[in-house]
Amino acid sequence: MSAEELLWAEKYRPKSLDEIVDQEDIVRRLKKFVEEKNVPHMLFAGPPGTGKTTAALALAHDLYGERYRQYILELNASDERGIDVIRTKVKEFARSKTPPDVPFKLVILDEADNMTADAQQALRRLMEMYSATTRFILLANFPSKIIEPVQSRCVYFRFRPLPKEKVVERLEYICKKEGVECEREALEEIYNLSEGDMRRAVNILQAAAALGKVTKDAVYKAIGYVHPSKVKEILDLALNGDFTKASKLLREVMIEYGLSGLDVLKMFQKELMGGSFELPEELKVLLADYAGEVQFRLAEGADDEIQLQAFLAKLALLGPRFRGASR
Amino acid sequence: MRAVPWIIKYRPRSVEDVVDQEKAKEVLVPWIKKWLSGTPPEKKAALLWGPPGVGKTSLVEAICNEYKLEKIEMNASDFRRKNDIERIALAAATKKPLPPWKGRLILLDEVDGLSPRGDEGAVAAILELIKKTKNPVVMTANDPWGQHLRPLREAALLVEFKRIPKTKARSFLLKICEEEGVHCEKEAIDYIIEKNKGDLRASINDLQAVAEAFGKVTLDLAKALLAERDRVLTPWEMLQQLFYAKYAWQARKAVTSTDLDYDTLFLWIAENVPKQYGDDPYDLWRGLEALSRASVIYGRIKRKMNWSLLPYYFNALGPGVALAKTKYHKRARWSYPERITLLAKTKEVRKIREELAAHLARLSHVSKSYAKGELIPLLSFIAQANPRYFARLALGLRLNDSMVKYLAKKNYAKVKSFIEELSVRPAEEGKKEAQEILEELKEEYQKKTKEKSNKGREAGEGLLKWLKKK
Repeated sequence: MSAEELLWAEKYRPKSLDEIVDQEDIVRRLKKFVEEKNVPHMLFAGPPGTGKTTAALALAHDLYGERYRQYILELNASDERGIDVIRTKVKEFARSKTPPDVPFKLVILDEADNMTADAQQALRRLMEMYSATTRFILLANFPSKIIEPVQSRCVYFRFRPLPKEKVVERLEYICKKEGVECEREALEEIYNLSEGDMRRAVNILQAAAALGKVTKDAVYKAIGYVHPSKVKEILDLALNGDFTKASKLLREVMIEYGLSGLDVLKMFQKELMGGSFELPEELKVLLADYAGEVQFRLAEGADDEIQLQAFLAKLALLGPRFRGASR
Repeated sequence: MRAVPWIIKYRPRSVEDVVDQEKAKEVLVPWIKKWLSGTPPEKKAALLWGPPGVGKTSLVEAICNEYKLEKIEMNASDFRRKNDIERIALAAATKKPLPPWKGRLILLDEVDGLSPRGDEGAVAAILELIKKTKNPVVMTANDPWGQHLRPLREAALLVEFKRIPKTKARSFLLKICEEEGVHCEKEAIDYIIEKNKGDLRASINDLQAVAEAFGKVTLDLAKALLAERDRVLTPWEMLQQLFYAKYAWQARKAVTSTDLDYDTLFLWIAENVPKQYGDDPYDLWRGLEALSRASVIYGRIKRKMNWSLLPYYFNALGPGVALAKTKYHKRARWSYPERITLLAKTKEVRKIREELAAHLARLSHVSKSYAKGELIPLLSFIAQANPRYFARLALGLRLNDSMVKYLAKKNYAKVKSFIEELSVRPAEEGKKEAQEILEELKEEYQKKTKEKSNKGREAGEGLLKWLKKK
């Protein structure tokens, strides 16, 4: 046993296209590019944890060999402060050394759908300007948020959520490799909780394995590592009319985890619309409507905490009425 | 040099001198005359109310002067002190003053300064005073409509004071200029009056400030000096004026009269809206909703650098919040914005978290926000559940000490000792392995030498046999 350990999602990320177990069509087409040593601009679209990043990295690996890292530029649109930073980085990268037997390098731009339309226009110009020496792989959850001119310059790949068997199989494989005991139904539960998101599934598996044997019980405990338990508590307090406590806990969660208002709102939304609370449909509609408004305000650059507080105040206002009525 | 403030120098000597407020005079003067005639009026107290600086106190002073009344004055908030109450009560109950006074007048200034909570005793004491008094009791207030002041309103003759009309204010200021021999532009006077919105006292003060600073009063000089001269409110005063504003303009004035920067101002109000409106879910939501809209406007201002939107920000923040209430709220225990203290306190931690998120994002090919929302909680969970395993992750992920500390929290010491143990283990293992190999080699050697010696012996014995045969 080595003294060092990694996050399994990285440790078991397929290195080359051959190792990728699912998305056969996509893999076949990508392999063809490798053979021809010619890659077009590409758009990989699909939900989180379906292998977009893995495919992009594996392609680079197969194209450039073990030392592929120096020939790719990884950017995350939601982390880079604006298109100017991206432009500077791409410019520098384009000038760097080209690989010996492939005439271009790769820019992998994750979360490209988080860019504003203006930024995407600038991106389009970048793609044209440097296309002699660089190819872009854009990764996105929602292809519809990518503007037409960019889409039309890219070969489009649609990544689908992994089927249950594939996920469970992979989890089993990891357990075997790690010498971790696991129950099949626990792995199935992990699949259910992760909703086809492979990375999430592996993360939950690793958390559960840290508790010992991977049982259904361990999985339920492990799922607590993410906030839903606290998020649920906040919502529960608010729905019972206790705004003060809910708001205090909200501040704790935001400060402790450094989450953005949008992150928290999305969790709220998921919990409220999901099965966690048995809310009357009428209340759900009201809340969904207000959540939409709050999200819009957040996008307009409004103060995170006050928006969420307003949302909690709304819950505290409506919750007791509806809940009282349904009991 | 400022010899005498003009508001004192030009304070009215007689009722006729008091600028405007004819309606108030029509009510108050007969009421006083009734006292002097020996048959006290039905209501033994009068409550003069209206915006600041329009002549409430001046009229009382003018009356005292004209009718030779001894003015016994007290700020209403002093009603908490027992000996003050006794002093006033005694004065009120005693009818005959010493000459040259012909009577007495009890003036209780600013009764709206009494807080709804904690000052109930003061209200009761004033009521008692009104009941027993043998002299007129006059109270003043800017806003007498608080629920807690209701008993006082009922016990008193209500006298309303209006803002001073522009024309009256103008001629009064011009008269002062003439008497002082200061050159004054009409436009400058109008500017001063406009700016003070019917507050004559503030207008006179402004006029004097400009005149003394420059020796003359022109529009440009007035603008230059007075633009900055608005009274700066402390955050607490701002909250008081905001939450108890009756009119939109008061609320607006409250939020534009502090020297807090826009962000800090917002935090002050955001901190205290839940406290002030927290007793009513509807008002609370409306208050936060107003704040939320204010913050959207502010976001647009900052993002687009569109400062022309600033007035709308103040409107949402001031009147929006103030008029969100649908009922009276008791003054809550307001506080300094906790967020500011928290941000300062957690600065170091936030820095580490940002570094950690960037580090993990790089290692895992994900965004920083994913690292924050998913990977940091994951590692933190593992650190709590299985410190030994976490130590191996810490080594593998090359986490530095502060990152480990941040993730491990109370398990930090445990994790640290595991990390040390794991880091020295390879050396110990190597040593052990080397020893094992050494042992094996020894055995091998011994076996081999044994074999060799056996062979040698056999060879020797064979040779011996052969020689014997010979």
